[in-house]
Amino acid sequence: MLTDLLEKFKRMNWPLTAFMVALIVFGTTFIWSAGSARQGAFLQNIWYSYACTAVFGLFLYFVLATLDYRKLLDLFALPGYAIALFLLAIVLKVGTKTYGGQRWLWFFQPSELSKFAIILFIAHLVGPAGRESFKWFLVAGAAFAVPALLILKEPDLGTALVLAPAVLVMLLAARVWTKGLVVLLLAGILAAGLVLGTVYVAEQKTDPDRKAEIYRRLPLKDHQIKRLRVFLFPDQDVKGAGYNLRQALISIGSGSVRGKGLTKGELKALGYLPPAVSMNDFIFAVVAEESGFMGNLFLLSLFLGLLLSTLKIAFQATEDRGRLIALGVATLIFCHTYINIAMSIGLMPITGLPLPFISAGRTFLVVLMASLGVVQSVSVHREEEDAR
Amino acid sequence: MKTSSWFILALGALFVFGELVLAISLFRLQVLNVADSRESQEIQTIRRVRVPGLRGRILDCKNRVLAECRPSYCISCNLEEFQRRGAPSNTVAAIDAAIENVATALDLKRQINIRQIERHLRTASAIPLIAWRDLDARTFARFCERLDEFPGFIDHVEAERTYPYGSLAAHVLGYTGRGNAGDPERDPVYFSEKDMMGRSGVESYYNRFLAGVTGERRIRVDARGFRPTKARQTMLEEAGDGGMAPADGLDLHLTLDIKIQADVERELHSVTGACVVLNPRNGAVLALASAPTFDPNSCVPYLSPEVYASLTNAPAKRGQNRAVNEGYAPGSTFKPITALAGLSTGWMPEDEYNCTGVYRLGDLRLHCWNRYGHSYVNIRQALEQSCNTFFCNLGTAIGSNAVIKAAQAFGLGSRTGIDLGGEYAGVVPDDEWKRRWYNEPWYPGDTCQMCIGQGMLLVTPLQMAVVAATLANGGDIYRPFLYDREHLSAPKPVRRIPFARDDIELVRRGMKDVVDLGTGRSIAIRTDPEVTPNGRHRRYKLNVDCGGKTGTAEIGRGETKRKNTWIIAFAPFDKPTVAIAMVVERGESGGKTVAPRVHNVLAGIFGENEISAVYATSSSLEGRD
Repeated sequence: MLTDLLEKFKRMNWPLTAFMVALIVFGTTFIWSAGSARQGAFLQNIWYSYACTAVFGLFLYFVLATLDYRKLLDLFALPGYAIALFLLAIVLKVGTKTYGGQRWLWFFQPSELSKFAIILFIAHLVGPAGRESFKWFLVAGAAFAVPALLILKEPDLGTALVLAPAVLVMLLAARVWTKGLVVLLLAGILAAGLVLGTVYVAEQKTDPDRKAEIYRRLPLKDHQIKRLRVFLFPDQDVKGAGYNLRQALISIGSGSVRGKGLTKGELKALGYLPPAVSMNDFIFAVVAEESGFMGNLFLLSLFLGLLLSTLKIAFQATEDRGRLIALGVATLIFCHTYINIAMSIGLMPITGLPLPFISAGRTFLVVLMASLGVVQSVSVHREEEDAR
Repeated sequence: MKTSSWFILALGALFVFGELVLAISLFRLQVLNVADSRESQEIQTIRRVRVPGLRGRILDCKNRVLAECRPSYCISCNLEEFQRRGAPSNTVAAIDAAIENVATALDLKRQINIRQIERHLRTASAIPLIAWRDLDARTFARFCERLDEFPGFIDHVEAERTYPYGSLAAHVLGYTGRGNAGDPERDPVYFSEKDMMGRSGVESYYNRFLAGVTGERRIRVDARGFRPTKARQTMLEEAGDGGMAPADGLDLHLTLDIKIQADVERELHSVTGACVVLNPRNGAVLALASAPTFDPNSCVPYLSPEVYASLTNAPAKRGQNRAVNEGYAPGSTFKPITALAGLSTGWMPEDEYNCTGVYRLGDLRLHCWNRYGHSYVNIRQALEQSCNTFFCNLGTAIGSNAVIKAAQAFGLGSRTGIDLGGEYAGVVPDDEWKRRWYNEPWYPGDTCQMCIGQGMLLVTPLQMAVVAATLANGGDIYRPFLYDREHLSAPKPVRRIPFARDDIELVRRGMKDVVDLGTGRSIAIRTDPEVTPNGRHRRYKLNVDCGGKTGTAEIGRGETKRKNTWIIAFAPFDKPTVAIAMVVERGESGGKTVAPRVHNVLAGIFGENEISAVYATSSSLEGRD
């Protein structure tokens, strides 16, 4: 039993664990720094509860790593998915409202949990051989669409936005209706371009009535149109909708090469970077201001190391479901990272997404560590070449 | 296996590419364009606060302090410690309550109301709000003792202007107010702790000299425009970088002699009028007074509406500097000028005219002040007796142009260039001027009026002092000045009047006669006569020869008819060191109303045997004339 456990630890992908722990330490440090500018013991001590959550997550990570993910999937993929759906449904009824969304159920966000559940469930659905047909695409699509719609209802566009590529990559990897998927992907890109183009054209109109008319026809909410507008014209409304982005840009830019030093970020400390976002979606601005370009390169390489380790597990995996899980989790983390940093520097429209391991989101941290635990399990429970 | 290795590799490549894009963008932002961000950051987080230098003192010629800065005890309040959530009005209310609390605790009358708090919060939230200024030392000490009880309040000492001599020389010194010396248009990020600014007199004229160079303090502000609280400030590096220390203002050494000034103001007490005392050798102003006067201490730090009203309300117009900014008809004090005009155009010193008491010109009849006439008088006697008909006749004989030219040669009708603001140029009327303002041609009667210093002619007491000084020194016109170090060390006249030395000397003699024998006998400086032991001569303790001229200008008609009375004088006669012009409104006559006052001033100057520093510095010129 013990030797079995030791054997399993040996087969783990240790670089992945190392990168993950490094990211969590990095994140805790900057949550502490961001919190130090806030008033009140609760906000100043968020880093501590974050660290405690990370310890709990680490425990979960190792437990999941040692359990056989195949058995887990067989037992819990469907019930877990059902529970996630249920939670998503009731959060719309009884959830706590914060910042214009209804995302919180007691102490956690169901939409974060659902990321985990959906990836596992889709891997479970399309993993087995012989499920490449259009029918299975419809099944998998429905399995994605139902929770995605519930998430959009909260509204949490960001989560839906990162889930879609993850699911897409998993379906592509599973070769489910490949041609159709490619067409869908292209259509998606085209649609995004079209929406952006429309906003651009509308902004050129001087007549406010015409502008309003065009916006009415777009299937977007007001705040989303605002964000697209800020993305296209970041200098237009720097005191209003574009304020956060501008302050983030100034923070990041003024960090220069070496940064100002931990807790020395002025825009954060003086409240220019709104305190409400400095620990969460815009924490990258704090990181960049205080650690500078060098720190950012370090952070990016940690992420890249984590992603490539995950891909290596996918590469080594000897079973399709495991490989799909690894790919899905990697894509999810990549999308989170990329979209979050890109929006902080104005490369993408602003979307409320946490930066994995760095933002002070505890539900998301647990979900990430659990996901990576399952990925690690894939690594542990692969069949060795020589054993074959 | 369903998934090809290539797919995973491609995904890996995509990840690497994505991170690369981010890294490149960050490089552009944090390395290449870092200056832009730093600048934007500076603009929004740094506020520049102007820090005025300590204002210089104003001293008289013997280094007696006429204006200086004293400490003013203030209580101010750090706004950032009263920040409240929500609307700014919450913070305003919190500050207001805190100030009210201090007011009750210390039993103080409030100095600022809620509207001023609101305005300060809106415009300058980063600098402390001064809740009380200029408290007495006792109250201030009481506050300091209980400082702990009033969180957010701090003790604070400011410089405030004070004038130790009170109302003495008020019109020369002027007063200071508080204002923004900076240019808000050009420099919108400047905050200003209000600078002291000269509002009138030399305080205003030499403001830049006195004010020094304003420095700059840089303070960091948070997103709401407040200074960060102490806890936050310690996290940031000190914001003192790039500030600039202010330079204190310079001391202004005036030519004024406060002793003479005090004598002059004593003589003008309870009348309306003005007096200027010049040093005829260089134009230095020894005293310059206007009555009624005011106390500049009542004008600082702010001019209250009541004080402002008292300064401007007619008829007293206490703020008006009558010596420089007001025009009067010079009356007979103009006659020396007419005399010179005559002598330079062919009127001989011995030419006589028979004064019958009235001068007829067509239908016009002009009475001499002596209804019985002065009989036959030559020009020197006419000056001595101030005979109107003689000068009317003289003017008619030589024509108006000669008189106008002479007046202009003495600088009448144009500013003297004294270093005080708002100087009035006066009026020397001529045909063109009269047509323009009265739409009438020049009548011979106008010439007569002008020759005796009446009619449309307007001069300032300062201009007449310059006339007196010019006659005193034998014909050199100096620019009157209150401060001019270079000029003091090597005085140079602006120009010479275009009259022969003999003619000028004759007029000077005439003016000596005025004091010795004529209308201005009360000026004479012969005091404390004592009879010599042999009883034949009288000896005077003080005996200074001087020249002078009285003047009584009649203005208005009927009910408003009144006389402005004048004296111009200089002494000692041979080597004059003092020239004086004094005007008293609504007097009886120059000889009766003004002459005794001028006598007192001159007696004060010579009696004390005080030779001011101004004379001392010009002693090298003793041999010049």
